Amino acid sequence: MIEFKDVGLVYPNGTEGLKNINVKINEGEFVVIVGLSGAGKSTFIRSINRLVTPTSGSLLVDGEDILNYHSGNLRKLRTKVGMIFQNYNLVKRSNVFKNVLAGRLGHTGTLRSILNLYSKEDKSLAYESLNRVNIAEKLYNRADELSGGQQQRVSIARVLTQKPKYILADEPVASLDPPTSHQVMTYLKKINKEDKITTIVNLHFIDMAMEYADRIIGMRAGEVVFDGPASEVTEKTFEEIYGRSIREDDLRGGADES
Amino acid sequence: MENLQLPPKPEKSLFKKIRAIFITLLVIAMYVWTFVGIDIDWGRAIERSISNFHRVVPKLFSPDWAAAGDVGLAMLETVFIAFAGSLMAAVLAVPLSFLAAQNMMGGKVVSTIGKWILSAIRAFPDLILAILFVVAVGPNAFAGVLAIAIGSTGMLGKMFSEIIESIDMDVVQAMEANGANKIQILFYGVIPQITPEFLSYAIYRFEVDIRASSILGIVGAGGIGTMIVFASSNRNWNEMGMILLAIIIVVTVIDFASARIRRKIV
Repeated sequence: MIEFKDVGLVYPNGTEGLKNINVKINEGEFVVIVGLSGAGKSTFIRSINRLVTPTSGSLLVDGEDILNYHSGNLRKLRTKVGMIFQNYNLVKRSNVFKNVLAGRLGHTGTLRSILNLYSKEDKSLAYESLNRVNIAEKLYNRADELSGGQQQRVSIARVLTQKPKYILADEPVASLDPPTSHQVMTYLKKINKEDKITTIVNLHFIDMAMEYADRIIGMRAGEVVFDGPASEVTEKTFEEIYGRSIREDDLRGGADES
Repeated sequence: MENLQLPPKPEKSLFKKIRAIFITLLVIAMYVWTFVGIDIDWGRAIERSISNFHRVVPKLFSPDWAAAGDVGLAMLETVFIAFAGSLMAAVLAVPLSFLAAQNMMGGKVVSTIGKWILSAIRAFPDLILAILFVVAVGPNAFAGVLAIAIGSTGMLGKMFSEIIESIDMDVVQAMEANGANKIQILFYGVIPQITPEFLSYAIYRFEVDIRASSILGIVGAGGIGTMIVFASSNRNWNEMGMILLAIIIVVTVIDFASARIRRKIV
């Protein structure tokens, strides 16, 4: 369980990234955070694995306040919180298998990982993860030979190999075309259901948020302005979250093609 | 199209106009001053080169094939000096480049010190280093190797550190986010990104070092330069022609080979 208690974050330049956030995310939920760019979605998500550090309040992950964590327990936290990025962040010159095995780094000793001495279980886990996102045939291809959607699937496989308890996805489909976006979201949803991994996804497309989310959290100017089950959400809600009327580019579309 | 009307260029201020004229005059004055200052006796220089031309230049074009064996051995030594020197430099430059790379050292303080060290090393010309090492280890090829090694470390270290600073740090962040420690990030996130460029620059530096090491012999640091000194003081222009031929062939071949290898790597 993840619990934000009065969390605030002020960046060194004075910008308020988060203001007085109080949110509780339960086990197994699929939460989508929506909001315009600059609303604090990324800051919110990156606080959970401490890529950014909130400056006030407390943030509990599994009952422990992570805000005072340092290198040792910070790494431990990060091994159970996997992350997926907008730009995939794969090592382009390494092959797919090595990229996916990198998901095991947090669980593997330094010397073993440097010498590439992964256990059989780790290797079969990596291969199985690639199979789950249907990209196992690209095992020995270099990451930069794959298309964007394929690279994002490899990065999902990397997170799966990590065996996390939570998955954070920061705008995972913003660089993809509509059919590929739906494919990636479908895999994330499937993993959430099958493995019971709590998943938090940042999106700015409202149709995708409504289609995939169990629960939607709306953010504006660093504050949570909406929090409720996806079934209660209408276009009106989004207009309130965004503070303006809904436009064409707030929709991803393409749901039928996938 | 014919109606295209660009907005007028902004007027240059009077200060900028005067500054441009001033700089132009300054550059002209410097040229005039240097040519007058070095006091070239043009008449004598031209006269001498005309009278020597037919005695020297044709001999350069009829190389002394009898000397080919000796020249070949000396050239081989030159290549060995360049290879050993640039290999040493490539190894030494790696830790220094990490020290000088801002994105690896977390802050500006350490990386600035690293950059200073590299600049200090680069400040010494190869020949000065060769003279120092001839004094230190004696007039042999080892002095040449050390001179090349130190001279190249400065340049390679700077290149390497710039390569490190240009890597994709998002990958590093992704690995931090999955709980990898610093050493694991180095091996999984950083080294795969830098290796091809590092190799490419090391090979390029070897190419440059071939040329550099062919003159080190002039100060006694081994290689073909020693033969150049002897040939010119004996006015043995046929042998000099042979030496030049050897240098041209070796440099061309290695340039060509290195260009092909580097294209493959990156």
